[in-house]
Amino acid sequence: MSAPLLELNEATIRFGGLVAVNKVSFKLEKGDLFGLIGPNGAGKTTLFNIVTGVYKPTSGDILMNGTSIAGTPANKIATKGIARTFQNIRLFKSLSVLENVVVGGFLRHKTGLAGAMAYLPPAIKETERLKEEAMNLLRIVDLDHVANVRSADLSYGMQRRLEIARAMATQPQLLLLDEPAAGMNPQEKEELNGMVRKIRDEHEQTILLIEHDMRFVMSLCERIVVLDHGEEISQGDPDHIRNDPKVIAAYLGEATEE
Amino acid sequence: MKFWGVRIASILVAILLSFGLEKLGRGTDSFTQQLIVFAGLYVTLAVSLNLINGITGQFSIGHAAFYQVGAYSSAYLGIKFYPQFHGNLFVWLTLMALVGAAMAAVAGLIVGLPSLRLKGDYLAIVTLGFGEIVRIVIQNQKALGESGGLNVAPHTTEQPIMFVALLAVLCIAVCRNLLKTAHGLPFLAVREDEVASSAMGVNVTATKVIAFALGSAFAGAAGAIYANSLGFINPDLFNSTLSISVLSMVVLGGTGSITGSALAAMILFYIPEKMRDLKDVRLALIIGGLLAVGLAVSAIRYVIFNVHKSAAIRAAMHVGIIIGSVVIAEIVAFALGKIPALAGTVEGAKLRLVVSAVVLIVLMLVRPQGVFAHHEFSWSWVQKLMGKKAPSTEVAA
Amino acid sequence: MAAVDLSTLPQQLVTGLLIGAIYALVALGYTMVYGVLKLINFAHGEVFMLGAYVTLFISWSLGYTPGNVLAGGSWGALALMFVGSMVACGLIGALIERLAYRPMRSQPRISSLITAIGVSLLLQYGGQIFLLDGRPQNVDPKVSPAQGNFSIPLKPANSQLLAAAKALEANMAATKDAYEKAAEGKDKFNLPDDVKKLRSTSQDAERSYNDAVGKAENSSVSIILPKGQVIMLGTTLLLMAGLTYLVLYTKRGRAMRAVSQDFDAASLMGISVNSIVTFTFILGSSLAGAGAMMAATFQSGTKIDTFFGVLPGLKAFVAAVFGGIGNIPGAVLGGLLMGISENLVVWAGYPGYKDAIAFVILIAVLMFRPGGLLGSNKVEKV
Repeated sequence: MSAPLLELNEATIRFGGLVAVNKVSFKLEKGDLFGLIGPNGAGKTTLFNIVTGVYKPTSGDILMNGTSIAGTPANKIATKGIARTFQNIRLFKSLSVLENVVVGGFLRHKTGLAGAMAYLPPAIKETERLKEEAMNLLRIVDLDHVANVRSADLSYGMQRRLEIARAMATQPQLLLLDEPAAGMNPQEKEELNGMVRKIRDEHEQTILLIEHDMRFVMSLCERIVVLDHGEEISQGDPDHIRNDPKVIAAYLGEATEE
Repeated sequence: MKFWGVRIASILVAILLSFGLEKLGRGTDSFTQQLIVFAGLYVTLAVSLNLINGITGQFSIGHAAFYQVGAYSSAYLGIKFYPQFHGNLFVWLTLMALVGAAMAAVAGLIVGLPSLRLKGDYLAIVTLGFGEIVRIVIQNQKALGESGGLNVAPHTTEQPIMFVALLAVLCIAVCRNLLKTAHGLPFLAVREDEVASSAMGVNVTATKVIAFALGSAFAGAAGAIYANSLGFINPDLFNSTLSISVLSMVVLGGTGSITGSALAAMILFYIPEKMRDLKDVRLALIIGGLLAVGLAVSAIRYVIFNVHKSAAIRAAMHVGIIIGSVVIAEIVAFALGKIPALAGTVEGAKLRLVVSAVVLIVLMLVRPQGVFAHHEFSWSWVQKLMGKKAPSTEVAA
Repeated sequence: MAAVDLSTLPQQLVTGLLIGAIYALVALGYTMVYGVLKLINFAHGEVFMLGAYVTLFISWSLGYTPGNVLAGGSWGALALMFVGSMVACGLIGALIERLAYRPMRSQPRISSLITAIGVSLLLQYGGQIFLLDGRPQNVDPKVSPAQGNFSIPLKPANSQLLAAAKALEANMAATKDAYEKAAEGKDKFNLPDDVKKLRSTSQDAERSYNDAVGKAENSSVSIILPKGQVIMLGTTLLLMAGLTYLVLYTKRGRAMRAVSQDFDAASLMGISVNSIVTFTFILGSSLAGAGAMMAATFQSGTKIDTFFGVLPGLKAFVAAVFGGIGNIPGAVLGGLLMGISENLVVWAGYPGYKDAIAFVILIAVLMFRPGGLLGSNKVEKV
């Protein structure tokens, strides 16, 4: 039995006296479409930050394909194959749509800096290649027609899609999406739903996403883990989660007497 | 094949133009020749600073330190070894430029390291402080002449115009090449958002350090040539005022724009030099001028923020304001000149830094992104200006 | 490396403390402005410089012009210079904020920093044109009625040396007596040889005695406190007490603290942030003015020119960072420590590096403890 793609083993992080994430464990296999939900402040983005190397866990472990990646710096995590988008969109604002995606693709570059400074053919060819691959990704997220527009000038929904394309450009094994549907209208959410599914199916990505919109998560994700106050309170498929009293209590409070 | 043809052709053109510039320069007096050399040096300084500040977004205002390291390296080695050197002057200068670049790059690495954790204004102060430390340390070294300075050997009595021109072209070319290939993107990404860059696999630390090293290397190479061109250097030539002058060139040109930095360097260095010639500037005119600038800036800001007519009308209003303020300046100067206390004159040389300061302030108030913002000169940009190409600003939903 | 003399250490520490008081006053201005605006007021050093000029001009208008040797000390003159400098600086600071910084508030911080640098340069080099051609000036030290020094004895003179001197005193008296007896009635310019010998013996004895007294005196250690500088320290402490009261116990002070915590929230709570910002600038600048007046008047040999504020300004900024930027007691602590460190460098035998220590401290603080001694470390939320 091969190791799971991502495994969290009692991952914990403390900030001073506050325990933001407390002994959370779950596993992701290759090809999963996994959702991470929970009320506001539950620690979901913090969990993402631990996995992607922004924070180092205080205790517990994060393993990727069986090897520990806890404490690995963020840029190395990307090299290892985990890419992410951000809750508050973090695009390279004054760069164009295409350039944003190429930054992601640059991770896999092969030619050296010296060659670029001297403007030698290998560097030029690689630049062309990266631009082409970026355009392909833009086609998937339906942004190829605005490739040369300044990314700050895009609409909110388009910016979110751009972040996804940029993350995909790093050729990750695992894609972490932090509230990809936030701020979108129902029609955009429908399109995003289909897009994410397509990315997983046709481009062999494993996806872990944080989302607040219940319907979106339930209709898209195949397995879900629920966090509340930094602790995992439920795990399973959408039906299980939907009916779990602990989850209902966390979101709505205790049920009152009829 | 065509690619190599164009490459070789452009290199040859660069060499020919530099050579031609030198020949032209030889026809003028030595002061003008030195001016041309300074122009090239300042262009190199501004473009190299732009790599650190504008392209990578690391606010460094101690650039004079790297210039100084390069200059003193060349001076020291020249004193020690030039008498035994029997080769071509050009070869010696190349060697000194390389040594200056290397020494300055080391200094750049040292400055770059504390910068890794610092942002914005803190980084600025640290780089300024580092510049001062370098100056003070050199000022206390007997071997480097202390505050008395060093004579430089060789003193290139024939100004190295061609060398400097080629250095400036090389600096511009390297920066432009970086930006034209994907390899320049990590630098821009670090400027825009470090956290996101890191998440996309960019080694933010390495990128910043490389930017500092490259930028300082070019400044060091320029410094080496500066030393040989002047024939005598002392620590006072490299104080924080120089750093700030170079900074104002980058700011005026537009942080991130290579074209802007180069052009601004040539303009901003030349004006103070020209002012040295002005022997008697009326005190009253200075006051009148400052007043007029203040009024013009307020008026222009008003137009920018509150007037919503077409671009052409606004441009016309700006021009009108500028003409109007020149008139006001003269009128005020005339009136104030009647007052005996204000009837005196001042040497033009004293105004040099006042002009730099005013440029910085006015720029920040009126157009903080600089004249060129982050645009570069390119043929498609010219076409856009002339309306031949549609600007790509469609934002379809 | 020069030999380090431990006995001079206490004096250097005290001198450092005295100059540190000035740095502390200026540092307060930096820290308060940074607290409310998150802006490094690069031009603060120049406000300090202008305060010194105002002090100078007021002293001149009161008659203490160069060349006037008859003027005596006057408390009234001092008070006028003090208040005048503070008021002038407060106004100048407010003006700079209104004209140069307020338009920059919506811009990224770099733009404000560049504007600040521009204002700083403008004042330095514009001053070269308009302020007496930038020629260095001095405030007449006689303005201060508090002349002379307090002396705090630390270590009494070595008893053996004192005894040795005492022993020689008798010999000196005796030989002097003998000479005078022998020279009585004779022509002082034409003495016989044996009398001349007595005279030279007497002179030798006197010289030995003086040497011994000198040695004994040098073996004692006392701290010299120029009276003017003691006044300076006292005034500084009073000003800081006043500032603390203002910030902690008044409505204005509370508003200042609110603005420095969260600019937008304070504005939403009904605080007029513009007037608080202006008030902060006036406060910080007038403190710098106070420091400038004292530095110009009580520190002997201070030359005032348009670059007078550059180094003190930078050092005071480092002091503010050292103590924790935005933190008022931190600025005071930082200033005092900065003054002491500077003097320690001189005491250790490296006077040429006196100015460099400030930058070394800055880099060290920013690398190892960016929040400063009393400050906090904020984490950026991802």
